[in-house]
Amino acid sequence: MIRLKAFSYFEPASLKEASEILTQHKGEAYPLAGGTDLLVRMKREAIRPAALVNLKRIRELNGIQSEKDGGMRIGALTTIADIENSTVVHTSHPVLAQAAGVLGAQPLRNLATIGGNIGRASPASDMAPSLMVLQARVATEGASGPGEREIDKVFAGPGSTTLSDGEIMTAFYFPAMAPATGAAYLKMGRRSGGGDCALVGVAALLTLGSGEARAVRIAMSSVGPTPRRANKAEAVILSGTITEERMRDAARVAAEEAAPITDMRCSASYRKEIIKVLTFRALQEANQKAQGGQAT
Amino acid sequence: MKISIDIHVNGEQYPAEVEPRTTLLEFLRGTLHLTGTKEGCGLGDCGTCIVLLDGKPVNSCLVLAVDANGRRVTTIEGLAEDGKLHPVQQSFIDNGAVQCGFCTPAMILTTKALLDKNPDPAEGEIKQALGGILCRCGSYQKILNSVQAVGKGERK
Ligand SMILES: Cc1cc2nc3c(=O)[nH]c(=O)nc-3n(C[C@H](O)[C@H](O)[C@H](O)COP(=O)(O)OP(=O)(O)OC[C@H]3O[C@@H](n4cnc5c(N)ncnc54)[C@H](O)[C@@H]3O)c2cc1C
Ligand code: FES
Ligand code: FES
Repeated sequence: MIRLKAFSYFEPASLKEASEILTQHKGEAYPLAGGTDLLVRMKREAIRPAALVNLKRIRELNGIQSEKDGGMRIGALTTIADIENSTVVHTSHPVLAQAAGVLGAQPLRNLATIGGNIGRASPASDMAPSLMVLQARVATEGASGPGEREIDKVFAGPGSTTLSDGEIMTAFYFPAMAPATGAAYLKMGRRSGGGDCALVGVAALLTLGSGEARAVRIAMSSVGPTPRRANKAEAVILSGTITEERMRDAARVAAEEAAPITDMRCSASYRKEIIKVLTFRALQEANQKAQGGQAT
Repeated sequence: MKISIDIHVNGEQYPAEVEPRTTLLEFLRGTLHLTGTKEGCGLGDCGTCIVLLDGKPVNSCLVLAVDANGRRVTTIEGLAEDGKLHPVQQSFIDNGAVQCGFCTPAMILTTKALLDKNPDPAEGEIKQALGGILCRCGSYQKILNSVQAVGKGERK
């Protein structure tokens, strides 16, 4: 039986209190959300926190709401399962539900939260690529008051974020998807039906206007130290009309600009092949959905 | 440091004092002696420790007992009523889905949660729901048959 080492435990009822406790502990205390990542790292003794600060009693961190301008807010403590099954998400930003539906297995998704997924800053995050193509903004609360940053500015390296001690993510804001926009997230893992972390994950978003891409965003995970955009591949799509050939070119460029590693899951060269295949398929799917007229 | 909690397990309240580092799995097995819930990996990978938390399947090795305070837990011991097995339990027996039985509590509880939401799930939905539980004996086909048998109206 793997036992956790002792730690002190706090269950603050307000963000201010939570932030104060975290700040006092100077990096030795961790916020606890679903615990699916934190408790595993503690059991493996990769980290040994002096204290855990459970965020679950803080009301305002929960829930999914559509905003008046067509945008959407998701509280940081919302579970991956709630995102997967939310009608609001399916209607306004369905790519997020697609990504949530392939993260781990269902029982894990009942615990895991979106805030924890981004807070972990795993290079293999399944949520990060979709947040990047949707240009999510992250609201935070910390010792120096409330803050906000773009999702692209959150990841500092494998397992590390730009959040300061005591800074807590409170919510994610998703701007409305433009008309004639489609997006897709595709993941390759070792187990289908769930459970395993991505060998490669690719999200693509396309906005169409008279046969050309008005906007395109491609983001990938498990391809380098942090999830990242494929800017050069995006430039290929923007260079002319959207054809199958151009999507294949873009996919090849995405594989070139990625810097994946070889690990126990698979080799770097195999990852490059998967990036190519998934980027092409994600672009195709986004294109089809964009032609469907609605933001699906 | 010990913390007072009050967890509702299989219809009964269990007030207790626990160390924060106690997982729900350890609490169920070690303190309440409900050993029907199994520990395999302890790391979220195998699914054998699954219990229902407020009706939803979760890996109890990744939940702190203090975090389950005030919530409703169902373990395999809580399914039979008045000495009569739950229809899912009966179906697993009737269809020979149990070999060593180590994965069985998790499989049955997860099936119950699925059927409570959706009485007649498609094969793909069953596989999605049970995909997080490893059966080291490889009884998957018989488990699938058992779930489908309950789905096909053999349920009370
Ligand atoms: C078996 C298994 C399979 C998995 N499969 C996948 C997978 O397929 N894809 C994938 O992406 N991940 C996977 N994971 C990793 C993990 O489950 C997810 O990243 C999950 O979303 C983490 O969320 P959580 O709420 O459980 O985080 P926690 O473990 O509670 O926290 C994770 C980190 O984020 C910090 N944190 C949490 N909330 C906040 C907040 N609001 N503000 C600031 N910091 C915060 C914590 O302090 C901690 O450092 C898997 C894990 C396991 C055990
Ligand atoms: S013991 Fe909990 S998932 Fe393996
Ligand atoms: S019956 Fe032995 S593990 Fe499933």
